[in-house]
Amino acid sequence: MKSLIGDLFGKSPFGPIVEHSKKVHECVELLWPLLEALIQEDYDTIHRLHSKMSRLEHEADLIKHDIRSFISQRYFLPVDRSDLVNFLARQEKIADLAEDFAVVLTLRRTTVHVEIQDLFLCYLNQVFQVSGTLLTAAVEFKNLAETAFGGAEARSILKLIENLGEEEWKTDKMSRKLSRAIYSLEGREDILNILFYEKMVIMLGSIANQAENAGDYLRVMIEKR
Amino acid sequence: MDILIIGLTALLGLYMAWNIGANDVANSMADAVGSRSISIRNAVIAAGICEFAGAVLVGAQVTNTVRKGIVDPAMLAAIPGISPQDAAVILVIGMSAALLSAAFWLNLSTIYGMPVSTTHSIVGAVAGFGVVAAGWQAVNWSKMGQIVASWFISPLAGGIMAFLIFNYISKSILGKEQPARAAIRHMPYIVFLMTAVVLLATIYKGLKHVIKNIHWLTDSRALALSLGASLVAAVVSYFLIRAKLQGLEEESLGKQLEAVERVFVPLVIISSCSVAFAHGANDVANSVGPLAAIVHVLKTGTIDMKVPVPLWVLALGGMGIVLGLATYGYRVMMTVGTKITEITPSRGVAADIAATATVLACTRLSLPVSTTHTLVGAILGIGLARGLGGINRRIVTSIFGSWLFTVPAAALMSMFFFMVGKALFFETLHTLIAG
Repeated sequence: MKSLIGDLFGKSPFGPIVEHSKKVHECVELLWPLLEALIQEDYDTIHRLHSKMSRLEHEADLIKHDIRSFISQRYFLPVDRSDLVNFLARQEKIADLAEDFAVVLTLRRTTVHVEIQDLFLCYLNQVFQVSGTLLTAAVEFKNLAETAFGGAEARSILKLIENLGEEEWKTDKMSRKLSRAIYSLEGREDILNILFYEKMVIMLGSIANQAENAGDYLRVMIEKR
Repeated sequence: MDILIIGLTALLGLYMAWNIGANDVANSMADAVGSRSISIRNAVIAAGICEFAGAVLVGAQVTNTVRKGIVDPAMLAAIPGISPQDAAVILVIGMSAALLSAAFWLNLSTIYGMPVSTTHSIVGAVAGFGVVAAGWQAVNWSKMGQIVASWFISPLAGGIMAFLIFNYISKSILGKEQPARAAIRHMPYIVFLMTAVVLLATIYKGLKHVIKNIHWLTDSRALALSLGASLVAAVVSYFLIRAKLQGLEEESLGKQLEAVERVFVPLVIISSCSVAFAHGANDVANSVGPLAAIVHVLKTGTIDMKVPVPLWVLALGGMGIVLGLATYGYRVMMTVGTKITEITPSRGVAADIAATATVLACTRLSLPVSTTHTLVGAILGIGLARGLGGINRRIVTSIFGSWLFTVPAAALMSMFFFMVGKALFFETLHTLIAG
């Protein structure tokens, strides 16, 4: 039984987008036990967590494919289609980076020097903050569709995105501090270890960067029109 | 023997009305059902009552256009070398052919899920028979042009109006820091607008038709009366809404919005009912217009410029619509009810007010418009106001396509049926009517 008016309503992409954000944040959350396992030199756990990460990343991918079908040319959307695609791409990048981080940890039995352990955990925590804020913004963004992308709800989410930028800036500062601590280990730490530390720092920093970029696309979608 | 012909054509009219009920009616309640404001069962009952009331109370005006406006019966009588009896027989066969082809086309499209308009079908069918029976000049092309224009104007008008109304709702209520408080302030205006539109339609035309000779009910008095009643409704609603929403200021934005949407629920039910009413008023003509012409010809044996539409004919059309709704439209309603989760009560109200106002304005101007397409226009208008998550572009295209396709298809079919009917039944009918 077909119904004209029923078919007229295309699917809304905003619900699934929140699903995607949640899945991506789950990937980021997995970084914490990964780093802890590395500090405790528990390499079996790292391998186990890596396969979990890889599964989560795949699940996020599936959600993304699903959303891509919503935002085909077939549907009129209240926001710019390309902005939505870009937002999704940035979010996906976050999950990719988290997985890459897990891969790096599996590559060799790296040990974390005791002097930088706390700094590392602090830094990771800050990256969490950024990813968490992005998730909150995505959830709010879905609610925003209820109020036709305007008014008080829009202002509150723009504020949230502003915070996101602030937190990313803090992440940058911490990354510089951590890098200095890492290079001060020169001569006292295996050079290959230092190389791996640097890799990890850059990856975590990219996660925060991508989260900020994703937030920017949210901002563009709200402010357009 | 006349009674046999009337009975047979009445069956045709009933078949057409059944199709209208099966195909179209669910759409009028779509906003209420889709926003989960009313159960499907209750929606069917409410739609049935409103469609019937609309058909019987307001239906007569448009009946004239479809029957006489497209093909002037006088043109049939004026064909050189034709006797009045011949003309009467041709009209009976032609109108039956038009009914049959429109209903058949509609039935076919319902089966294949094609979004066609009942109004388009009957107008095309009547025009088709007119061309074959009396040549191109028998069809009132300026009237036809007016009707074609209304197909584009009505969704456009519905769309613009819905855009404006929803924009107002979202700017002044949904987008505020405290939606609950804003709703207390602004909802009465929306209630006023809605009641005014609904009442103007019902009082102004409905009552005038049913209770004849109400001389005091002039246009301006009807206007004053409905505006006054709307004012009362707005004031009453203010207190009701305040009682419901006051004290919610401290709640979270989401909670407040939820509460505000709940306030829209009764409105969307009332306004959807009025869409059903307007639909009944406008679309009953599609089934009983030709029937009324036939009945008149058989009773008097002559073709008149103006004929009264008997109340029983309107009632028959209304019954057919309700029957179609109960037997087949029910399933369409189920689909609508389970599929549309996108629409919220506030969006439904905006679409419904816009659609009712447009359809009733067009009915008043004696233009048969498609309720479905007006509503589609209204929903698109809300989509453009960033009110909906997604709208299926493919369906929109197919609706536009069906506008262009239905009229010629119904016309061709009607030509065919007319020629077959004339070849088979002309002699029989001629002796019946002449004798």
